[in-house]
Amino acid sequence: MSAFVSELLVPFGYDYMLKAMWVSALVGTVCAFLSCYLMLKGWSLMGDALGHSIVPGVAAAYIIGAPFAAGAFFAGILAALSMTFVKQHTRLREDAVIGLVFTTLFALGLLMASIWPTSVSIQTIVLGNILAISDEDAFQVVLIAGISLAVMVFIWKDLMVTFFDESQARSIGLNTRLLRIVFFTLLSACTVAALQTVGACLVIAMVVTPGATAYLLTDRFGRLIAIAVTLGAVTSFVGAYLSFFLDGATGGVIVTLQALIFLAAFYFAPKHGILAARRRRRAPSEARA
Amino acid sequence: MMTVVDWIVDPLSYSFMQRALIVSLLVAAVCAVLSCYLVLKGWSLMGDAISHAVLPGIVLAYVLGLPLAIGAFAAGLSCALLTGYLKENSRVKEDTVMGIVFSGMFAFGLVLFVKVETDQHLNHILFGNVLGVTLGGLAETALIAGGTLLIVLLKRRDLLLYCFDPNQARAIGLPVRTLHYGLLILLALTIVSALKAVGIILLVAMLVAPGATALLLTDRFERMLPIAVAVAMSSAALGTILSFHIDGATGACIVLVQATAFLLVFLFAPKYGLFVTWRQVRGKSPSGASEAL
Repeated sequence: MSAFVSELLVPFGYDYMLKAMWVSALVGTVCAFLSCYLMLKGWSLMGDALGHSIVPGVAAAYIIGAPFAAGAFFAGILAALSMTFVKQHTRLREDAVIGLVFTTLFALGLLMASIWPTSVSIQTIVLGNILAISDEDAFQVVLIAGISLAVMVFIWKDLMVTFFDESQARSIGLNTRLLRIVFFTLLSACTVAALQTVGACLVIAMVVTPGATAYLLTDRFGRLIAIAVTLGAVTSFVGAYLSFFLDGATGGVIVTLQALIFLAAFYFAPKHGILAARRRRRAPSEARA
Repeated sequence: MMTVVDWIVDPLSYSFMQRALIVSLLVAAVCAVLSCYLVLKGWSLMGDAISHAVLPGIVLAYVLGLPLAIGAFAAGLSCALLTGYLKENSRVKEDTVMGIVFSGMFAFGLVLFVKVETDQHLNHILFGNVLGVTLGGLAETALIAGGTLLIVLLKRRDLLLYCFDPNQARAIGLPVRTLHYGLLILLALTIVSALKAVGIILLVAMLVAPGATALLLTDRFERMLPIAVAVAMSSAALGTILSFHIDGATGACIVLVQATAFLLVFLFAPKYGLFVTWRQVRGKSPSGASEAL
């Protein structure tokens, strides 16, 4: 018994594991915060597109030895501008434009990695590698996530009014344009942080799933944020912990956990779950009988 | 001295390059045909979702000893069906549900992949490995891609009406549900056939770019199909040969050549190109002014 417990405590004995768990939890927290807005506004796939689009920036930064965050930020801006430009000047649907731009940028990153394979590992970028993250990279991630979280705590109410009742926001004198820009800057920044944790392919889950799960559990925005943030932090921490026993795939474990919790909420949520809906449907007919 | 002809023909003296070229061309053709429908229907990101979701299917099929293509197909289709089911039965938006389902499946696939010892390389599944395609693989791709292509071309008018105007399609008595699921199945089949060439992540580019390019060049669907196929196949040939010379990832080269083609059309298309629109805008204001005078 005690051998089993000490086995479970092994991950806490390694510095790299402690670092991975805390960094993941921080990133999970701030991504979950953003997810509340993204999933209600129907911007989920923006998260996916950003996650893939910043890959060439990160690859370029590693090749020339610059901080990865700078490269990612540059690529993110480029992606956003080209999507807007192509959208404005063609009759293509938005989803096609997004698909076109992010895959092109991703292909560029892949090509760069295949030509300079020594300085950049595409697998690390695509799948994340928080267990082996260097101290400098971890520092950048913590800095980005920490600042974003602080800003979000400060402006979450203003953002809520801006996104869900714009005329009200203007009438109380909020600068809605500035708030939007701040939000999307935070989103890009958090995508960069999430890329280091779970990798480009799974960024979308971090910025969508916790919010959607919380949405099945509550009708009030304040609680929605509280639930989502808790879910994001706990799944990321536990996911990083469990990945120790799997020898890797941290991102995979975190996101699998998040998806399972979403499914559980989908079935068992007290008000919006499938079972509750079935019970409600049965109850009136019984009453009539 | 190296001429253009040498540049093209030299790589093809290797048999692996010949096979790679054939597979790329096949895959490009079938993806291009599907892309016309996806672009019109607004399903571009469905292609993205299904292609990511095939990962657990591939690993499970390996564990069970089934052909990998069957596992991939089953997983891709369940992603589409599960998305539909969750969306029908909850108040979460469709794009969000899609994101949750495909990222969850991809993540689960990664965990499985790490846990199960397979002889597959993750990089090959993710990014494609067209240079390593065997004769058997070539036959498999040809079979799936050819079959899919045949069905789409036979049913192209029904599918077109369904994509454009589902209500009209229902009104004239077309089996709309069958068309809906049929298109999803065809999409999943296409993705399975294309996995070897470009891999999970870049597949969506092959499923969007040709259709988008063709849409900027013509207003008529009968023309859109051949244009998309021509653009896709020539990009695939050029990309494959280019990748040989610059020693880069083949899938990425094909996608980048397609993107370049889109960019050229975006700028110079005869009717919807950026330069023509600009010239029209500029041409209009002086003539408008003279009319006012």
